[in-house]
Amino acid sequence: MVVYSFYIFDRHAECIYKRRWLPRPASMVGSKSSRPTSEASAPGLPATLGQSARTTDDDAKLIFGTVFSLRNMARKLGGEDDNFVTYRTSQYKLHYYETPTNIKFVMLTDLKSPSMRVALQQIYINLYVEYVVKNPLSPAEHPGGIGVNNELFEESLEQFVTRVLS
Amino acid sequence: MSSATKASRIGEELWKTRVDKVNAELVTLTYGTIVAQLCQDYDGNYQEVNKQLEKMGYNIGMRLIEDFLAKSNVGRCANFRETADMISKVGFRIFLNIAPTVTNWTSDNNQFSLIFDENPLADFVELPDDGRAQDELWFSNILCGVLRGALEMVQMQIEAHFVSDVLRGDDTTEMRVSLVRYIEDEMPPDEE
Repeated sequence: MVVYSFYIFDRHAECIYKRRWLPRPASMVGSKSSRPTSEASAPGLPATLGQSARTTDDDAKLIFGTVFSLRNMARKLGGEDDNFVTYRTSQYKLHYYETPTNIKFVMLTDLKSPSMRVALQQIYINLYVEYVVKNPLSPAEHPGGIGVNNELFEESLEQFVTRVLS
Repeated sequence: MSSATKASRIGEELWKTRVDKVNAELVTLTYGTIVAQLCQDYDGNYQEVNKQLEKMGYNIGMRLIEDFLAKSNVGRCANFRETADMISKVGFRIFLNIAPTVTNWTSDNNQFSLIFDENPLADFVELPDDGRAQDELWFSNILCGVLRGALEMVQMQIEAHFVSDVLRGDDTTEMRVSLVRYIEDEMPPDEE
């Protein structure tokens, strides 16, 4: 399986961490020539570089909007404790995990990947809490992602994604 | 009370399996040193010391809740009563190995008291004998801040303060906790 990208949003709805991995899947390269398909159907699509002027910041905002709305709808339908776990389009699969403190973890993978819910939870417990929350020098909140961009966290995340998940 | 017994079981289990222990006296002495230093820094202005302790606790609580959730893996509480049991039987249990009694609920279920039969922070402590500390200093005030910080992160705005303390010569150590409101989700800022 391939992990395309990974995002963390804090309780202030701000994207405090984002990371993208290469390579791009073959289907994405193919979709470059038939552009019109992707825009409407896939709001959080990991855009190919030449495909549009969208920046990674825009991607993050779109993804936040998507999961935020989906989660609220899921709650309305299924009750306060309900939440969505994943959704898939014809191009990618989005996995979602939210902590009770309203930190949202989002991972985009290819279609073949199994459920990443446990993996996201592991990232929260073993990486985020250990290296970001427990780092006394990092601020308690992360406006603009300060503090989350620390070496230990990034390296471990890299390892986790390349070794454990692939 | 099934939610209380469930919480005790979770707390017990976590305490045995997931928690790294440190020497209790180390904690007691370290905390005592901090309070003593604050009393010195603020020149015996105990109101200010209380305030600083609360603030320190708040900053601790904001992080501690993440550790709590990572260790316990519990979900959201259904109501404030359940929250109280979680705080006492799981939270205090895994971080201080005590389980203060939850009691004195108001009829609207928004206020309760925690009675501390034991308080590791206050072992070996005698308040300064200057005639004022007995009336003004809340020695363990950091705990109020911890609760406020931790609960704010899980969408509950609360107010907590001590109403009595055995260090002052009272019969019990009691903290009053009141729910102010549930915090709504924040929306992303509009920008079009």
